[in-house]
Amino acid sequence: MQPKPRPIQRFAQAVSKCSVPAAEYGRCIVADYNFVHRDKCVKEFMKLKDCYLAAAKGAK
Amino acid sequence: MRLTLARVGRPPSLLHHHAPFPRRRSPPRQQVRCYASFQTGGTTFRVFNSRTKWLQKERAASDPALSREADYLKDEVAMRVCERLLDIKRHFPRALDLGANSCNIARALTRDNPDPELPSSPPLASRITSLVAAESSPALLHRDADLPFNAQLRLERHVLPAPSPSPADGGVSGGSDDAEVPLPFETDSFDLVLSSLSLHWINDLPGMLGEINRVLKPDAPFIGAMLGGDTLFELRTSLQLAEQERRGGISPHVSPLADVRDVGGLLGRAGFQMLTVDVEDIVVDYPDSFALMQDLQAMGEGNAVLGREMGGLGRDVLLAADAIYRAMHGNEDGSVPATFRIIHMIGWKESENQPKPLPRGSGEVNLKDILEKK
Repeated sequence: MQPKPRPIQRFAQAVSKCSVPAAEYGRCIVADYNFVHRDKCVKEFMKLKDCYLAAAKGAK
Repeated sequence: MRLTLARVGRPPSLLHHHAPFPRRRSPPRQQVRCYASFQTGGTTFRVFNSRTKWLQKERAASDPALSREADYLKDEVAMRVCERLLDIKRHFPRALDLGANSCNIARALTRDNPDPELPSSPPLASRITSLVAAESSPALLHRDADLPFNAQLRLERHVLPAPSPSPADGGVSGGSDDAEVPLPFETDSFDLVLSSLSLHWINDLPGMLGEINRVLKPDAPFIGAMLGGDTLFELRTSLQLAEQERRGGISPHVSPLADVRDVGGLLGRAGFQMLTVDVEDIVVDYPDSFALMQDLQAMGEGNAVLGREMGGLGRDVLLAADAIYRAMHGNEDGSVPATFRIIHMIGWKESENQPKPLPRGSGEVNLKDILEKK
């Protein structure tokens, strides 16, 4: 019997389906990483999060 | 600067002695009178919660299969530490493995053919009569007590006293450091002290090195390896950037670590002679940053910095950190690298009939002449 995946593994699984918005968010941060402030890349992050939430829902 | 109120049990004349590094005086500690004083030296800077560290190790060892899977780093470093024994042509009647984790050193010592230059060489364990493995976490120490390597050398497992939670502040400050120093061994009782990947969790590193020097016999070596410098800088920077952007502030997630430059000074201060300090980077690739964090947890190497935020990282921060990790440090094939910087150190306890460096200015040949002739 396959052991039940840990929450972090399910999380990693869902995140791995969102490489495109993740790369976009990463680019936004790295472009100017000496001047990062709160919600600097909130637009890109919300796209990433929406993608993750959809992927997590689909996996259930 | 943080000023602490401390109980001081030593003559008042010493109170004004400012040491460059704070160092705790080892026993006998007789408390004659109690002074309340502002201290700038003589107190230990507390960085880690030793109780948390102890609990993390116990927890990691409670799942032997997972814990063994994450032993690759400790086994590799233990092997590299033991390889250094090949350079010392000696027999060691009694050796100490300080901070033994799951006896990784004992396992490395029993490996066949440790010398790559000879077609076949006996395991290094044949050069050690008995090995004392000292570790504060009993579950981790006894995890592999049933495996075959135990029969190949005389191994004595010694559980060091566990740090107790201090009731005064609900265990937040992580109990007392007395569990770390002094070591429960006699002075001049070991022919060799080994230590692999444990010293980076010691609050009072100068005091611990002094204790190691104390338990060694004169002219006996200490061979150690600890994580230091830029270890896990990828994880450190991505978490910082992620928290900065998501939450507007940062909190410590990766330990502050000793630097290579510091280690030489610390060894010298502890009384070691003929020092050798060198650095090695081990880079491990992981599929994603979560795999790295899971493995760190399974190694018992989770965050135990005092003043860390309780509870896990939020999902938003994890999500952001993984994206930043990939963008900043990721490999082309989609994996992410994690750097472990290992500081190796060798020091010898002082003895009268030991070779010593010549005094300064006694050189007769100018190095410049030799180098320029080439």
